[in-house]
Amino acid sequence: MLRTELRKLLPYRTVWVILVLFAVLFVGFVSAGSSFTVNGQRMGDTLYAFPELWPRLAYVAHYFTLLLGILLIILITDEFQFRTFRQQVIDGRSVGDLLVAKFAVSVGLVLFGVLVVLAAGVYFGLIRGAQAPASGAVTAQLPAVALYAVQTLGYLGLAALLAVLVRRSGAAILLFLLYVWVAEPLLRYLLLPDVIDQYMPTKVLGALTPTPGQEMLTSMVGASGDLLPSQALPIALAYTAVFWGLSYLLLRNRDL
Amino acid sequence: MSVLDFDNLTKRYGRTTALRELTLSIPEGSVYGLLGPNGSGKTTTLGLALGVLQPSGGTVRWFGAPATAATRRRVGALLETPNFYPYLSARQNLQIAADVKQTDARSLEAALETVGLAQRQREPVSGFSLGMKQRLAIGAALLGRPEVLVLDEPTNGLDPQGIADVRALVQRLAAEGRTVIMASHLLDEIEKVCTHVAVLHQGQLRSAGPVAASLATADRVVLGLAPGTAADVLRAALSSLPFVQDVRPETDGRVSCALAIGHSPASLNQALFAQGLALAHLEMRHRRLEDQFLELIKN
Repeated sequence: MLRTELRKLLPYRTVWVILVLFAVLFVGFVSAGSSFTVNGQRMGDTLYAFPELWPRLAYVAHYFTLLLGILLIILITDEFQFRTFRQQVIDGRSVGDLLVAKFAVSVGLVLFGVLVVLAAGVYFGLIRGAQAPASGAVTAQLPAVALYAVQTLGYLGLAALLAVLVRRSGAAILLFLLYVWVAEPLLRYLLLPDVIDQYMPTKVLGALTPTPGQEMLTSMVGASGDLLPSQALPIALAYTAVFWGLSYLLLRNRDL
Repeated sequence: MSVLDFDNLTKRYGRTTALRELTLSIPEGSVYGLLGPNGSGKTTTLGLALGVLQPSGGTVRWFGAPATAATRRRVGALLETPNFYPYLSARQNLQIAADVKQTDARSLEAALETVGLAQRQREPVSGFSLGMKQRLAIGAALLGRPEVLVLDEPTNGLDPQGIADVRALVQRLAAEGRTVIMASHLLDEIEKVCTHVAVLHQGQLRSAGPVAASLATADRVVLGLAPGTAADVLRAALSSLPFVQDVRPETDGRVSCALAIGHSPASLNQALFAQGLALAHLEMRHRRLEDQFLELIKN
């Protein structure tokens, strides 16, 4: 099944364009980070010091996750547009098989994102870092990258659900961006009390890669209302399962 | 034994009923034509059979068992339009179809040769004409030598040579003992290649059975006596014969009638001669499937 998906992906130029764009934008942003100025002081290469580098990279990478979501939407809506989901069912795949294949693609995209973050971490941390890392510092906060992986898997689940729901790439991408950037934030700020809004999907996913220095901010201005990553983790996994489960129910109960 | 059974199969889209309580069995080894005008429910029937449409009621059984992904792998199908990844080559598309069907990739070459696309297998499908895509879709349906072939309007977009090739292919597959189910609105196509035909109209089954039987019952004999003989004499004589049915007047004082199964125009001529009537005109008028079809879909 994975081999069949690779046969579709590897010759597809759109896939490569978006993956390269993701890597270039992310690495470019991280590279430019050292010239940022905070409180009149240039960040410099201290930004790349282990072990804080990993949560910083995970936080920055999460801004580019939407690109991977857009790619997954394109890959799923293509199957509707080309009527190839329909043809695969005719040829002997079940609806469950179709979604398992796309879930495998989403796992592949997560692995790509993680590899880019790891490669960037190794390069910036070991080569551009201000000083040689202390023993054990390189791997100390590596779990932040694993949380980034779970977060990406969650966003891709949401993207898949919207793609299966809308079936057209333009509309699904628009809905995806509107939901993440506009609809859910508005809902949280205007309607929902703090107790509930911290459990909304993108809020939970966002909590997996907290803003670097969040602990300091919390001590200065009080708690942010976000869940801790360890609290957000099981809920994020549950949301991911719900997104794929709903996608399956939609696909199974509608005509292809 | 039947390969495909529909039992009270119904499909509704909102208030529109696209298919109403279809009950039909497709015998093994037959070339079964689904005939009907556009919008009669042919593609809906095949879509339900192939699992891409959800029935509103009724059941589909393949090979005597409920339809599943595994039963569909025993069937090769082209439904409505050729569906391919346009950025992939013909060969890459067939490779994906072979993966899904879990069939040997070596059958790719044979399929490409059969549909005449071996020379252009490395070209992207986006550059193919509709006829070439249609041929590739037939090639994809042939992968893995399926027991049953389902072809929905298979000659759509094909040139005359392509149409002849598809007909020859269907006849060859039938000769190999494979079952072919073919939907078409082209009567000529059904008449030339099918052993059985089911006529659908406005989502309802109007008739089903062997093509030869439905044509035989539709044949008529046109008779005429020498000029000057009263037509009433012939009509009266025909009415007295037990194997003559549906006597109707024709132009020029001639009369037409249908014969019961087992009786020929020669036996009719003999019976009339025995009554002292010598025919000046005797013509067998094969009632074409088109006439039969138009009569069946009359409201």
